[in-house]
Amino acid sequence: MSSDFYTTQILPYAAIIIKICRAYTNTQEDFEDYYQEVCLQIWRSKDNFKEQSAWSTWIYRLSLNVCLTFLKKKKNNSQNNTSDLLPDEVLVDSSVFSDESLNQLYTAIKQLSEIDRGVILLYLEEKSYQEIADIMGTNTNNIGVRITRIKERLRKILN
Amino acid sequence: MEKSIETIWKEGFIKNDALVAPKLNDLYNQKSIDIVEKFKRMYKINRIAIVAFAILIIPISYITKTIYLGIPMALLFITVTIIAQKFSKQLDAIDKNTSSYEYLSSFDKWVKDMITVNSKLSTFMYPYIFIAMALGFWFIDIDEDILGNMLINGITSEFPTTYLVNGFPILLIIPFLIMIGVLAFFGGKIGKWDINLVYGGILRKLEELLSDMEELRK
Repeated sequence: MSSDFYTTQILPYAAIIIKICRAYTNTQEDFEDYYQEVCLQIWRSKDNFKEQSAWSTWIYRLSLNVCLTFLKKKKNNSQNNTSDLLPDEVLVDSSVFSDESLNQLYTAIKQLSEIDRGVILLYLEEKSYQEIADIMGTNTNNIGVRITRIKERLRKILN
Repeated sequence: MEKSIETIWKEGFIKNDALVAPKLNDLYNQKSIDIVEKFKRMYKINRIAIVAFAILIIPISYITKTIYLGIPMALLFITVTIIAQKFSKQLDAIDKNTSSYEYLSSFDKWVKDMITVNSKLSTFMYPYIFIAMALGFWFIDIDEDILGNMLINGITSEFPTTYLVNGFPILLIIPFLIMIGVLAFFGGKIGKWDINLVYGGILRKLEELLSDMEELRK
């Protein structure tokens, strides 16, 4: 990946990638792996970007897809090598951010299903229901109902 | 009053230190090592399986009375193992203290050499397997006679005018030779297909990774 492409096309949107990767990883090592994989996939797929959506929306979509795929691969690997893995709770690094409330929110988000994590991240990033539905490949009604349910669940976990 | 999740999110990310992007380093290096290590594991499992077949085929063929098939097959498996062992040593000798690109290029060259040797070997191997199978079945004992004799008797009684070469009906020899020829002709292709079946996924990844790296070097 050329450093020019990274500096101009990815780095300005790194916040999006970081926020998403944090929600799907429990350790700094995993987070860096996911972040690098997302960057690599963005670079590899750059020619597929058709400008039908904003570049940032496209990065959201790609980041989520990469994280979901990576997580799936990891699950498959862990099923094959169960003895190599520690339980999730042992691996969780819950003090990533200096803001304690944010750490708690992330810990709560990680308790959601993989798809719900994506939905709530997009909601918190102030994406419209339509955009969320487009990115997640569903309809706006479904998104609305899901968000209400997820927020309720998060409130319960946080309290 | 408790903060809403929206407020926690916004306020949490106001501080710049919350969003420090990790440095992109060693990505290809790690991927290169991963891909080669994965291949090595698969290659080792494959070699162990071949050795296991070589050991098991003799008693199995003895029990199933196909020892004429078992012995040549065991010899074949041993030969393949010896060749694979030599390649494995070459693979281990690839210098890791080079750049990811050089490391993967060396691995790619090793893969290509291995495929070339395997294709050449397959040209002989598949006809050899066919001959071994024919021998194995030929000498199967049925009612105090062997299957081969029964086959010759069957052909000569069905086609009494058939030409015999050293006691073997030409109607048997010709398809046998054609089959050997076909297997020798397509042996290389079958060998490549066989490698692709086992290692195809990982070799495609290698190709992809190398092409990414080559683009980077432009």
